[in-house]
Amino acid sequence: MSPDLLTMALIVGVFTWAFRFLPTRLDLSRLHPDGHLVRFLAATGPAAIATLVVASVWPMVSAALVDMVPLAAGVVSVVGVFRWRRSVVAATLAGSLAYGVTFALA
Amino acid sequence: MPQPRPKSGFADGLLAALPIAMGYFPIAFSFGVAATRAGLSAPEAFMLSLIMYAGAAQFLALALISAGAPLLVTAFTLVAMNLRHVMYGPALMKRAGAQASARHAWAWAFGLTDEVFGTALGALARGDVVYSERFMFGLTLAAYAAWLGGTAAGALAGGGALEAYPAISAGLGFMLPALFLALLLSILSRAQVPVVAIAAAVTVAGTLWMSPTSGILGGMVAGALAGVVGQRRQA
Repeated sequence: MSPDLLTMALIVGVFTWAFRFLPTRLDLSRLHPDGHLVRFLAATGPAAIATLVVASVWPMVSAALVDMVPLAAGVVSVVGVFRWRRSVVAATLAGSLAYGVTFALA
Repeated sequence: MPQPRPKSGFADGLLAALPIAMGYFPIAFSFGVAATRAGLSAPEAFMLSLIMYAGAAQFLALALISAGAPLLVTAFTLVAMNLRHVMYGPALMKRAGAQASARHAWAWAFGLTDEVFGTALGALARGDVVYSERFMFGLTLAAYAAWLGGTAAGALAGGGALEAYPAISAGLGFMLPALFLALLLSILSRAQVPVVAIAAAVTVAGTLWMSPTSGILGGMVAGALAGVVGQRRQA
């Protein structure tokens, strides 16, 4: 086990734990329900997930149209299956399957 | 007078984690394979998942290590990348309600990854579950176990495990974006469309002109600010 690698992992791990844990101790009950911070936090969830969608799809975006076919198939499958089944599991698996199959055929 | 719904338990958390676990296992498998391909031993790959437990940061760690980046530069680049997680705790506790307990959050909050946060928030927003710390323990533990199991399997399979199966590798690579997209669809409402649009636009702009980490952080802050402005206009 490399000591440098272990040190790096411990630094990142401790900070990540602090980032995830310490903000849960904020006392939100004292905040006004229409206050700026409460509104900000309520909008954080959709904003965060939208950001992660873009960040994870972005490296797959290509100028070559043919390379985009698996991505398009995957996205359409996720949206279509989610609208049909309202299931996150089914939509995720369908999207992954569609991407892999289209990649093989392209 | 209607009775309050009972709080969701540990088993409910395990069940809610099923989509995450199904997504995590193959992604962590890919990480284990990539780590051994980058020259790490199987125990080292497992150690990264055990201690860091942050998928995107772990993949970036491999790239930085392979490029020979100094230890502290690598560590604090990854710390900066994970800074976005500071928003998850307050957003989750806000959705959980004023009486929600976070007494044992020091233990379960380590598992508050992007996907766990998204799943918990989505389930609470849809009313599928009632917040409890037992539920959070079930959700976070199942996801963590899948991540560790996938890493171990990938690291033991070795660096060339997926080379002969490019389509499977490609499909597995799309698992994470598919999961994020499905989570977004599950919590999306008409009122939040401007929040999502602005977050997405700022992420693209930040990624193009600065760095992916700046794009992620900027997108989250801009989207959340858009929510404040939009709601104020509606009021």
